[in-house]
Amino acid sequence: MKALVKDSIGIFSPQGFLDGNSSNAYLTMEDMDATALLKVDMVLVSLKKVIFFNKNGLDIFVKMLKRVRAKNHATVGFCDYDSKKFHAIMHFYKDEVTFSLFKTHEIAALFASSFKNQSKTALLFSEDKSQRAAMAIELHDNGHNPVIAQSKTEFLEKSANGSAYDFIIDDTYLGQMGQKIATRVTGNAIIYSLSAYLDAEIGNTFNIAYHNNSLNVGFRLFIFDAYKVISMNVHALNFFSRLSSSAAEYNATICFAGLSFEKTPPSFKDTMEDAGIMFFGQMDDILHDKELMADLGGSSAVVTKNQRNLKKITVTELPRFIDATVLTIEMMTNSKALKETAKINEISLQDKKDKIASSIGFYGEMDGMLILVFPNEIAKKCCELLIGEKTEDAELILDSLSELVNIIGGKVKALLADEGISVNITLPRTYSDVKDLLDMTSGRKGVQVDLAFDHDKFLFFLTR
Amino acid sequence: MQLKPKNIKKYIYHEEIYFPLMQLKLKCMKLNFKSRHKVITQTTINSYIDKIPPAPKALQMTIMFLDAGELGKAAQIAQTDLALSAYLRSIVNNPLYGFSHEVKEIAQIFGILGLAGSQQTLYNYMTSLLSPNKWVLFKMNKTSFRTLQDHLSIQWQKILKHLQIDSKNITNAISLLPSSIIVSEALFCANKEDVTLLRSVKALDYNTILKRLGGIDLFDVCSKIAKKWEMADEISQIIQAASGLKPSHDAQINLLGKWMHLLLFYELSQPLFIEAGLNDFLDFQPEYVADIYDEFSKLMEIA
Repeated sequence: MKALVKDSIGIFSPQGFLDGNSSNAYLTMEDMDATALLKVDMVLVSLKKVIFFNKNGLDIFVKMLKRVRAKNHATVGFCDYDSKKFHAIMHFYKDEVTFSLFKTHEIAALFASSFKNQSKTALLFSEDKSQRAAMAIELHDNGHNPVIAQSKTEFLEKSANGSAYDFIIDDTYLGQMGQKIATRVTGNAIIYSLSAYLDAEIGNTFNIAYHNNSLNVGFRLFIFDAYKVISMNVHALNFFSRLSSSAAEYNATICFAGLSFEKTPPSFKDTMEDAGIMFFGQMDDILHDKELMADLGGSSAVVTKNQRNLKKITVTELPRFIDATVLTIEMMTNSKALKETAKINEISLQDKKDKIASSIGFYGEMDGMLILVFPNEIAKKCCELLIGEKTEDAELILDSLSELVNIIGGKVKALLADEGISVNITLPRTYSDVKDLLDMTSGRKGVQVDLAFDHDKFLFFLTR
Repeated sequence: MQLKPKNIKKYIYHEEIYFPLMQLKLKCMKLNFKSRHKVITQTTINSYIDKIPPAPKALQMTIMFLDAGELGKAAQIAQTDLALSAYLRSIVNNPLYGFSHEVKEIAQIFGILGLAGSQQTLYNYMTSLLSPNKWVLFKMNKTSFRTLQDHLSIQWQKILKHLQIDSKNITNAISLLPSSIIVSEALFCANKEDVTLLRSVKALDYNTILKRLGGIDLFDVCSKIAKKWEMADEISQIIQAASGLKPSHDAQINLLGKWMHLLLFYELSQPLFIEAGLNDFLDFQPEYVADIYDEFSKLMEIA
């Protein structure tokens, strides 16, 4: 079984009956490892469609989940259950609940560092005092506003006024949480979460390939959420200084939010500032200041200083990129594609009106960036299959478009793997205004293929 | 700048980009997008249904005689179809039925299975005729598909006995249910990779994908097959309710739909079918079956 991965949470969704015989068939360690390789913050098993489970069935999952946590530091557990299932699990494991339980996957997302929508007001209750406190701290650290009910009565009273809260959290339990450097995207800024003591290990836990490719895709603002950092040593200091210097080549900015210098030598701050790192007391100081976001590069793309040219291998594999794009869009829109022109140059777009775009980077044995420019109508049509209905909601269309580009990226990855070429893909980036895209790609040459789906013109651009 | 050999050469020379000149040219020229997949539309679905052959004559007549209660005549006709006879022998001698001696005579087989059981077996045979020689989407084969049919049939009879329902049409309805799996296989096998990728970013079952692409769902296709095979309307109605998405206004049909939906997922939770990739080919609707679950678990002795 494959996990559905969204916002850095991998969810497995078995259906029906789950016992000692079937659990091994639902999930294998290979399935878990494949999900963990996608750098997820959480690996969860959804019980939404499970009508029956017993302890033997859960034990098999728990064993695998624990191995993932030990290896990848991801938060693991179960989600999407009702009160009866929650109490059954708590009864099965009594004092040994080492995994987490989230009533819904939406609640799980509140605890994941990758959650995009912050500042949610959540009413929470747990019979266990320490759980109440742990949940409140986690929620607060993730930028939410927890409201704690101290008793069941208070919880019922407050939850009666459900509209006052974005989320109502009960029947939830935080087991051992992951300690991985998590990544989330807010607008066009990438936020990395740090915690505890930072030392030479940061070089191993920080995904430098992901970071470099995010730079290449056009992300220009990187914020380290450092509220939970206790202190750092000179090795970590050197790491961040180097990171900032390399980011400067792309005109990118690195910021720290919430870092306390109580236990970190204040001289470190000067050294880091000299390296170009900026410090902010609160995350909101950056995210809620649109002007500052724009200045720092978090709201629009900036021309990259480091122009790179396509390599032979990328050009050789060009048909696979086009195949992946065309086949996916044909499938999503039920329309046939026609190639109109192919040329090598900077991206050229005659009509910029009513168009949105998305890009996805790939790296590994070859690297580059795939850019797709969609007329609004094709984008809507493509997203209809994912959304299930026609929509004019621009945000929803952009969100679905990034899922679509993710599918195309996945297909490219699979097609290249068939050729023995191993690549990873970055998070997709979307552009509601193609002018931002043109700014980002200015000066970059690549292969542009103009396609037509029915009567709509569609642009494919492959660059580095 | 159009992609002409001359231009490329100049470009490469001046820009110092290493392009394998001829290779790029040839590959770009060959970008003709011959689809390796079939786009699924209403037309594709209709064409699939059109290609389904009507039930073989011998089979139709056997069913007709069984319908009239004439077991002897039905057996005589069935014997003329060698494939059907072999199927009937293999079914009744399956360990699931638990007969100690090999049963060879068709008349004897019909006698053992009874009127409703015989008809159900014939409909199972009819459905199995649709199954592909080589499965691509699901890790299935003729044997595992037969196992699924047998399991469903036996458990369905157990359920009907529990519900005290004695009706040929209702007994036969279960035979049509696995055709939803065959339809998924047939319509999606050419797009396996695309559908897998789609399902890796969005939790969509094959039924939903088909509905969104072609406007009709797997169970509508099954109903069309049932119509083509001249099966009773009641069978189609039960199958539609068994989708878990289209409750029937008829209380009995709705109840049977719930039992069938739960039975399907009970069977699809067996390791053989989970490993075949069938567990999530369809969305399970636990809320739909919530009110019969306790009764079901008692009947199936689920601990």
